Amino acid sequence: MRQDAALVRMERIGKRYGGVQACRAVDFTLGAGEVHALLGENGAGKSTLMKILSGDVTDFDGQIEIDGTPVSFGGPTDAQAAGIAMIHQELDLVPGLSVADNIFLGRELRTPLRTVDRRRMDREARALLERSGVRIDPRRPVGDLRVGEQQLVTIAKAISLDARVLIMDEPTSALTTTEVERLFEVIRELRRAGVGIVYISHRMEEIAQVADRATVLRNGEIVTSFDPRKLSTAEVVEAMVGRPVQTMFTTPDTDTGDELLRVDDLKLTARRPRPGRRDPDGISLTVRAGEIVGLAGLLGAGRTELLETLYGVAPTGTRSGRILLQGKEIRPRSPRQALAQGIGLVPEDRRASGLVLFHSILANTVLSSLPAYGRLGVIARRLERGASVKMADRLRLKFGRLQDEVGTLSGGNQQKVVFGRMLLTEPKLLLLDEPTRGVDVGAKAEIYRLLGELAGQGLGVLLASSELPELIGVCDRVVVLRDGRDVASFSTADSGEGDLLAAAMGEAAVIGDVL
Amino acid sequence: MTEKPSVVATLFRFQSVFGLLAVFVAAIIFSPRKNGAILFVSADNLANVVRAVSEIGIIAVGMTFVILIGGIDLSVGAVLGLAAVGSAVLMVENDWGFLPSVLLVLVTGTIFGALQGVATAMIGIQSFIVTLAGLQIARGLARIWSGGQGVAISYGDGPKEAPTSFALLGERTFGGLVPIPVLIFAVVAIAAVVFLRVSAFSRHLYAVGGNEKAARLSGVPVVRVKIAVFAICGLLASLAGIVHAVQLNQGSPNDGIGYELDAIAAVVIGGTSLAGGRGSVAGTVAGALLLGVLNNILALNNIDSNIQLLIKGLVIVAAAALQRLRPAS
Repeated sequence: MRQDAALVRMERIGKRYGGVQACRAVDFTLGAGEVHALLGENGAGKSTLMKILSGDVTDFDGQIEIDGTPVSFGGPTDAQAAGIAMIHQELDLVPGLSVADNIFLGRELRTPLRTVDRRRMDREARALLERSGVRIDPRRPVGDLRVGEQQLVTIAKAISLDARVLIMDEPTSALTTTEVERLFEVIRELRRAGVGIVYISHRMEEIAQVADRATVLRNGEIVTSFDPRKLSTAEVVEAMVGRPVQTMFTTPDTDTGDELLRVDDLKLTARRPRPGRRDPDGISLTVRAGEIVGLAGLLGAGRTELLETLYGVAPTGTRSGRILLQGKEIRPRSPRQALAQGIGLVPEDRRASGLVLFHSILANTVLSSLPAYGRLGVIARRLERGASVKMADRLRLKFGRLQDEVGTLSGGNQQKVVFGRMLLTEPKLLLLDEPTRGVDVGAKAEIYRLLGELAGQGLGVLLASSELPELIGVCDRVVVLRDGRDVASFSTADSGEGDLLAAAMGEAAVIGDVL
Repeated sequence: MTEKPSVVATLFRFQSVFGLLAVFVAAIIFSPRKNGAILFVSADNLANVVRAVSEIGIIAVGMTFVILIGGIDLSVGAVLGLAAVGSAVLMVENDWGFLPSVLLVLVTGTIFGALQGVATAMIGIQSFIVTLAGLQIARGLARIWSGGQGVAISYGDGPKEAPTSFALLGERTFGGLVPIPVLIFAVVAIAAVVFLRVSAFSRHLYAVGGNEKAARLSGVPVVRVKIAVFAICGLLASLAGIVHAVQLNQGSPNDGIGYELDAIAAVVIGGTSLAGGRGSVAGTVAGALLLGVLNNILALNNIDSNIQLLIKGLVIVAAAALQRLRPAS
């Protein structure tokens, strides 16, 4: 499958950001028709290396050859002209434009009169999407789509570029199992067509399925290269973090206490319903103190919408049913009110709704708990510093200085900052929406450890996730949502991923097809 | 190799201060001389520079707050006019005392600003549009209040005369040198700098401008922050209006036309991002002073006022261009 002359050869690549050496003398090759997996913790240098290849980063050490010819990219356009396309982890789509417009952005199809040929664009977009196994109306605005659907749109867009080199940075982080399976079929098809694919992921089982070769980066350097079908997950993870780690995450089952949250037949009818949103349509569940309850469900089952309703950020409309916190009925109207009552939320998309990326780590960490550090609205810097240093320690945050922009941290560490901000409010109930999306193994383990610790202290956690192993491993109990309703509840002690999936998809679905 | 020397970063961070310094030095070089003395640096002239800047400066401080939350306030010039008219009418025609007049004018400006905040924060209309409407409304109110023409202010104890204490506001100098309007500007600027440095509110303000959604999810009272910011801007615009009335000894409904643009220019030259979440009052003060020095030295050299406009325009573009070159972090 691999050919002798490498399609891409990167030699002795080095890149430094301030005090952080993101890449150090990295050699990387990619053959035509090869799927080369790139592994490493967040901050290991994978994204930097690929940004260099895709022309996003132009000042670096070392050199790049394409088909044996040295190239120098002045920007992403040059790289695209050389046949290199990148699917970013951060989805670079224009929310207000339709799916088709986004796919053909900058190279719109024209009619003979040079006007935009909308019909042809819609048709071709539909065909592209179907090739990636999704049914999305190409005329819908991208902003109305769920994150997972947006991810599929970016993949369709990259495929439409007819690139020779395709870089996929965590392409499956918001996809359901079925969608992942379809994506792999597309990848195999591209490989047969001679496209070289760089596949960045944290999910070992995916890499074993789809990659021909895997390379592990740690602290900006290559640690090892191997055949992904031959090495065990434990060995790879050890190479990534530099020490042995438990691969199956479990949190100790703690004694659960009194009922903390009770949701009774919660329904929300939005005054102006938005397409693609699935507001609660009769959800009942409970969370006890010290209990971690998972929320499973397919994309669009209404997990995020439930968390938003509990946190007071749902769209306005009529609500029926009851929400009880420690036996008292609450009507969450704003995050401020929810926080005051002891409910915290770690949102799904930390860059868009979690952080002010260009503000400091300090400012982001203390944003929700400012009144605690001063009097009469005046902040005592010593107190807020002390609090954030302590929180950073507790979360094992990797950072330079508290004044650094939070956007300079790796994804896992950014997520820890969002966690820290919520924990500083001392919540009783923590709502988590895909808290480990795009987070590496090491940071994941630390987040799970933290969840176990928090549950041990009597905090209740409601964890929405599309990663079944995570739900099974971390939660005491999992509630499955489908179409805005709770359809099943499992104790994780005596049920597996298959049970959850079957419930999430409904009886009609054939489980074997998905797994 | 890519690490930027901190000197460059510092230069960019305080770009408006260095810009001010550069313009100041240039002013000294190009200043006309009289009997060997450099006219520009004479105490009288410098006092004039700051006096001329103080109104725009006060407004620009409020504008900085609004721009920091990602908004804009086009109504400040009109609110200044409304406040100038209000001061004149209340004291001259209604024979109100000094304190009640000033208080009512300030409260009016604050409420006006707060209402604009309500319209943008609670109804969700963009602040550009809200304050564009506010500009018209404030001008209209000023015309109605003044009967459509300027109200001259004369001082004395009799009827139709403003209290002499009001005149002192414009004339008396502090320490024999610093005019009171300049003192007011200085106090406003220092208070704003300190406020932004130590208050919890300022963290909320920066967060709202930096990422409104993240701020709301973090429990920041976004609506309240926005209303407060527009109220502060209205308060400062009306304060500038009082200063204006006392300096010109009149209140006219046409006062302050175009001041909003000078204020925005000062904020932009000061390095505050129009996208919100990034910037400082110190920069704005430097920006306002820079514009003032520029105006002054061009006037001292008898440069045609049309050319002055050209030069001002170029300075604004240059300041904005410099910000684009600023290293990312």
